Amino acid sequence: MFLKLNSISKVFDQTKKETLQGISLDVEEGEFVCIVGPSGCGKSTLLNLVAGLDTPTEGEILLEGKKVTGPGADRVVMFQESALYPWLNVMENVMFGLDAAGYAKAEQKQIAEKYLRMVQLWHYRDYPIHQISGGMKQRTALARALALDSKLLLMDEPFSALDKQTINILRAELEEIWEKTKKTILYVTHSVEEAIYFADRVVVLAENPGQIKEIISVDLPRPRDIEDAAFTVLRKRILDQVSQSARKSAAEEFDSQEVEQA
Amino acid sequence: MKWKKVIGSLLFVVGVLAVWQLLYVAATDWLGWAKPYAVPHLKGVLLSIKTLVVNGTLFAAVAKSMLRVLIGFCISLIIGVFFGIVIINSDYMARNLKPLLMGIQTLPSICWVPFAILWFGLQESAIIFVVVMGSVFSVSLAVESGIKGVPPLYIKAAKTMGVSKVKMYTKVIFPAALPSFVAGLKQTWSFAWRALMSGEVMSASVGLGYTLMIGRDLADINQVMTVMLVIVLIGIIIDKGIFTNIENYILRKRGL
Repeated sequence: MFLKLNSISKVFDQTKKETLQGISLDVEEGEFVCIVGPSGCGKSTLLNLVAGLDTPTEGEILLEGKKVTGPGADRVVMFQESALYPWLNVMENVMFGLDAAGYAKAEQKQIAEKYLRMVQLWHYRDYPIHQISGGMKQRTALARALALDSKLLLMDEPFSALDKQTINILRAELEEIWEKTKKTILYVTHSVEEAIYFADRVVVLAENPGQIKEIISVDLPRPRDIEDAAFTVLRKRILDQVSQSARKSAAEEFDSQEVEQA
Repeated sequence: MKWKKVIGSLLFVVGVLAVWQLLYVAATDWLGWAKPYAVPHLKGVLLSIKTLVVNGTLFAAVAKSMLRVLIGFCISLIIGVFFGIVIINSDYMARNLKPLLMGIQTLPSICWVPFAILWFGLQESAIIFVVVMGSVFSVSLAVESGIKGVPPLYIKAAKTMGVSKVKMYTKVIFPAALPSFVAGLKQTWSFAWRALMSGEVMSASVGLGYTLMIGRDLADINQVMTVMLVIVLIGIIIDKGIFTNIENYILRKRGL
């Protein structure tokens, strides 16, 4: 198995609350897996664990049979905010990770050019970060992540801070790039629509504690049309799942408040 | 617009000089509160400037003082960055050493003069010691607050790209902390400049502080005033001309 999550649990020291409980998931090479769930269900925590930015309280994560013990360039993360460095221009930002990986300057430039062209930003390579739009920032971040050619690409709601139109364009681009590069992608989103658009499989998380509620295979033909009838049916089904668990936990919270008051 | 501002500033300077002259005349001639030799006046200061420029004292003093403060500033920078990194990397040191450094930084630099004389004698090194002690820990505090202000996301992103510990500092943390660090260095500069005067007053043979003391010994209040004006002027020039420009350049480049 390419990526294996073995009954992962996570309890944070500060809150003592069990954020994730018994998460087991196998991801195959080249697969696009989306994780959806209500806010606060621990999706981002799960991604951080796979990235190695945090360690699970129980269980282990294996990438190609090797245990994940810390962050590394084989599991590059793309964040919700672009996390680009404002003292570098677009091109230099893409070269940043390549420099850390030990590539020579000429190679860095070559690789950066390839991926900047792929995300259609070659023309903007000399721009400072503060002069490009939010969508262009995320494209730069995507190019930076792709440039490292990591086995696994982790994405934490990368488009959620953008406007609708930009999201549509970027979705199509990412899908195309994924088809081209055949990367394995673990993609966290709160948008069910986005999950169905991209995913081979959608993992629905329930909250309190975060656990896998259902894993749904999506075999609609690509590129997918969000207006398509089958798409809509599937979206409704997953949305129900997500809102059910959100309602349930909201009710629980309400009940516990009542108990406290009484 | 720009011209208007320049003219406005010039008018302000003229106004300050006029008020000064008025106060002088009022205090000495009209009211007789002060003896003329105890209060500096415009004409006397201008004469004093002329004398000090013509005999070369002023230029030599400025050059010597600037050299000393530059050496002291550089030493402070090196030692201060070291201590700053020590504080930022250890909770224990942040809890215990940082308050100590802050305390020492509030100590008037004149307090170091006895040590300087005992350890270094009446030498250049004694003055530079006072400059360093007066400014070094403000560098540490600037490093600490600069690094503390680096967005955690920058570091997280770099970690997932496999950046090594050394490169994390050279490629992420230092550049990210730079604007706040430069703002902190502005303060360091003013601390160093003040400390220099404490040092020069005690033991120099050439320098602005020494020229000021000569003025005192000769009961030449106009010379004292002249040196004070030069000290203020250099303070403003370095602050506005160098540090503020560097700061603005960095911020502009990042679109801040």
